[in-house]
Amino acid sequence: MTDSLKPASLAVLVILLISFPTISTEWARMTAELVDEEENPHFGLPDIWDGRQVVCIHFPEAEAPEDFEHGRTHIDYDGSEFMSDDEWNETGACIGGFSGHDYGWSLLNAAVNSTGDAFQLNTTQYSFGLMIDSIAGVNPSQMSGNFSGAYWSLYHNGALSLIGITELELDSDSVITWRVDTW
Amino acid sequence: MKCKLNRTRKGAYMFDAHAVALGPHGMLAINIAMLSLIGWALWRAEQRLSSGSDLILLVLLGVFAVSGRILLDPIPNVQPVTVIVLLAGIHFGAARTVALATAVALCSNMLLGHGLWSLYQAAGWSVVGIVGATLSNRLYVDGRMMIPVLAGLAAVSAFVFDWIVSLSALHSLSSEVFLVYLAAGIPYDLLHAAGNLVFVAWLANPLSEVMTRHIAPPTLMAVRDPVSSRV
Repeated sequence: MTDSLKPASLAVLVILLISFPTISTEWARMTAELVDEEENPHFGLPDIWDGRQVVCIHFPEAEAPEDFEHGRTHIDYDGSEFMSDDEWNETGACIGGFSGHDYGWSLLNAAVNSTGDAFQLNTTQYSFGLMIDSIAGVNPSQMSGNFSGAYWSLYHNGALSLIGITELELDSDSVITWRVDTW
Repeated sequence: MKCKLNRTRKGAYMFDAHAVALGPHGMLAINIAMLSLIGWALWRAEQRLSSGSDLILLVLLGVFAVSGRILLDPIPNVQPVTVIVLLAGIHFGAARTVALATAVALCSNMLLGHGLWSLYQAAGWSVVGIVGATLSNRLYVDGRMMIPVLAGLAAVSAFVFDWIVSLSALHSLSSEVFLVYLAAGIPYDLLHAAGNLVFVAWLANPLSEVMTRHIAPPTLMAVRDPVSSRV
């Protein structure tokens, strides 16, 4: 039994590892459908972004970078600021008007690149995926308050994403949102 | 693979290994070679121990488990710790395997990232070790390890451990989303189970042999009620 288990177990592991990217992506797509999304994730966003892809980054009020301290700034895909919503109950910016991005990572990079250095990312690659450490220099692990810990959390169309940004499949009008959650 | 030549002070060119950019597969090959070297060196060190050195062996097992977890980190959820704590539970009992499991979780997380999840990992591996200790009579029979039963238990242990660690998500997720979170992790649980099968197939017998050699013999207890009770 042991002699046959050695090559058999190795073969199973190798096959699983080779097919893992496909399996995990397909599985992630199926399980993502079990999470309820917002009915209208574009609520509050400029009308010209309807049917387009958007990235929103919401900072905790006390931690927001200087240019994004009041309400929510809207930045078009070419980097031009065209509207801000001071009444919005979160602090930060939305960069939108994108199309054709199949995965979250591609959209996030497009949004970051279109705004120059304003939303520079710091990431760590783990075996289970990519972790966002800081956005625009805002690093939740260095925050203190009435919580045990804080982290950048990813939402897709208003629902918490259980899939990492690199594997998150997008719709043609997806809204992905980063905000700091605590535990 | 990219490399560059750095000019030294004397003007000669020298090969700078720090500039060699290895791909993920190259790095994994180096890690597996290093883990094999560590395993071989620890095995040689164990051969020089006198029998009954159970505590020293636990330390050696801990070193191998920590090294294995760190060096195999590029492969998602494949590491030898689960099988090692399971075997330690079978041979050394619950208390020692809990100590081993907690120390391995803490030491490896010093490099991989220490946080709230460390406590859940320690608890998860401790549960696996305690199950091993509880079922030791069925897993180790007549001086032989029951490999098919152990393989099944190791596969199940992967899911048990992962789900215990996943409980840490309840600090930030609602209970409704938690079930979806567990379901989303099933491909990673399967990888853990497959990795455990490989470690059982290749390591269970040699490690079991080594552990058996170092189980401390029961100490002779002094008789406390000697002469007075004699007639």
